[in-house]
Amino acid sequence: MNKVLNLINLNKLHISSKQLFKLNVFVILCAICFLLACVNGSIAINFTDIFSGEISDLTKIVLLEIRLPRVILAALVGASLGISGAALQGLFRNPLADPGLIGVSAGAALGATLVIVLGSNFLSGFMLGSFLLPLGAISGAMLVIMMLYMLTKGFGYQGVTYMLLVGIAVNAIAGVGIGILTFISTDSELRGLTFWTMGSFGGVTWPLLIPAITIILISVASMITVSRNLDLIQLGEPEAYRLGVDVKKLKYKIIISCAAAVGASVSLSGMIGFVGLVVPHLVRLFGGVNHNYLLPGSAFIGAALMITADMVARTMIQPAELPVGLITSAIGSPFFLWLIFRIKRS
Amino acid sequence: MSIKADSINIDLGDRSILNDVSIKIHQGEILSVIGPNGAGKSTLLKSLAGDIKPTSGAIHYDNKDISDVNIQERAFTRSVMSQLQAIAFDFSVKEIIEMGWIDRGESAYATEFENAVMDVVTKCGVKDLISRNFNTLSGGEQRRIHFARTLLQLWRPSDSSDPKYLLLDEPTANLDLTYEVKLLNIVKEAANDETGVMLVLHDLNLAAKFSDKIVLLDKGSVVKIGTPSEVLNSKILSKVYDIEIKVQEDPLFITYY
Repeated sequence: MNKVLNLINLNKLHISSKQLFKLNVFVILCAICFLLACVNGSIAINFTDIFSGEISDLTKIVLLEIRLPRVILAALVGASLGISGAALQGLFRNPLADPGLIGVSAGAALGATLVIVLGSNFLSGFMLGSFLLPLGAISGAMLVIMMLYMLTKGFGYQGVTYMLLVGIAVNAIAGVGIGILTFISTDSELRGLTFWTMGSFGGVTWPLLIPAITIILISVASMITVSRNLDLIQLGEPEAYRLGVDVKKLKYKIIISCAAAVGASVSLSGMIGFVGLVVPHLVRLFGGVNHNYLLPGSAFIGAALMITADMVARTMIQPAELPVGLITSAIGSPFFLWLIFRIKRS
Repeated sequence: MSIKADSINIDLGDRSILNDVSIKIHQGEILSVIGPNGAGKSTLLKSLAGDIKPTSGAIHYDNKDISDVNIQERAFTRSVMSQLQAIAFDFSVKEIIEMGWIDRGESAYATEFENAVMDVVTKCGVKDLISRNFNTLSGGEQRRIHFARTLLQLWRPSDSSDPKYLLLDEPTANLDLTYEVKLLNIVKEAANDETGVMLVLHDLNLAAKFSDKIVLLDKGSVVKIGTPSEVLNSKILSKVYDIEIKVQEDPLFITYY
């Protein structure tokens, strides 16, 4: 407990009061999005009814069993993609790193589909427990990050584009794998190809959600504890080492937390692109680049953005539903282009 | 108290970079390392900083073998400045300087944080740069900021007697002559305040003026070690640098063109 208090006190030195205020604003924004998303949908729910307790059983079921888990999942996935993007950009010292672009999400999706297909064909005696799916996805994500680690010689700085090229290749390989698996599998549990490539928050239930909540919250917390070290590593690895950062330990911590957060997210919602890229840049524009502010900020803004994107996805063309990845990509891809031009200019 | 290299050898593959080098950085003393390109100056600095493990021989921090000093304690004992990499994100100058602050977990240090930063900023004369974006500074300005950061790393409350060492690899590269001298004067001041200093320098005249002791390295071996007037001898220098070098004594002045 003392250790935690000490850590908080020390980290306070490296965040300004302005930034703390902004983080509070982000939290409020998140809460507003959350409430709006809970009441809006194909069945509209009245605010006042909730608080006066005058709601019908149907509305109650819609709210508690369908909408609430869905909004919570959107928030968690947004938070984990946002913070993972920020942490990976920091670790790679590369403003274009994003779990989607560098292939981590694709690895997770491949891992998840493999578990589902093998689970139904070969492991039928084995309980397809709610932890097995996220574990498969996490292993897939971990495998991709480990591969990146080797290809970039321990995340050494190889220029901004190298990692993206590797990402294109990884994405293509994983895409083939997912394609084949969805094609050969007749299992109804393996959802359509669009689910894995475009993402959706539909159909989530509490038993599926609870393991994901646990995994994501733990990994987000573990990333936040090393935010100061992510600042120091911007000076270069030897420099950070001289300032007392155990660089190897930092790398493992970020790799494992990102793989866990992204893996758990992808296993429930499929691949949702560009959130990990756009969110950290937005947060930096609002108030600074130091990771004590950036990491929590990216989690909150990521959550707010994802809740909103999902709300738009399910209300825009009722009763049909857009894949949420379509909306995030529509926002994210022009931003990506703009970022490339900006980096090229400087 | 001292940082000490005890007959260290460093091999890279089958090439020997350093060969049986022993030196000692005493508190309150400036030790300059000079020598032609490829003499092993930077490698020596890196091994003393703890970046590179010697193939044989030992490094001691205040009589403790370096492998028994954890990296956090090392960071608290010595600070290092060497060739630096580009920074990907737009940190402010103040944030870069503050990266030198080593969190020791003691509240006494935490309350002094703002004072310490202002102290160093004033000392280095970088007050008007402090709110700028680090990436928009010139190469020389960036160096001065990194220098301020290494000083902050060694900042101590006035009642502290913990040993401190400053290891600087060509700190004056990219600096105009005003700041060259200013920076070395700050280094001198630090030495007077019981800091042990090791400088890797190219400019022999700066080495002559600011050093208490000089080590001349050539092809990985120590050629001579001693006071400036002992080491800066025209015969030895001409041989090591392979051009004619004249040394005028009192005041010591070296000409080579």
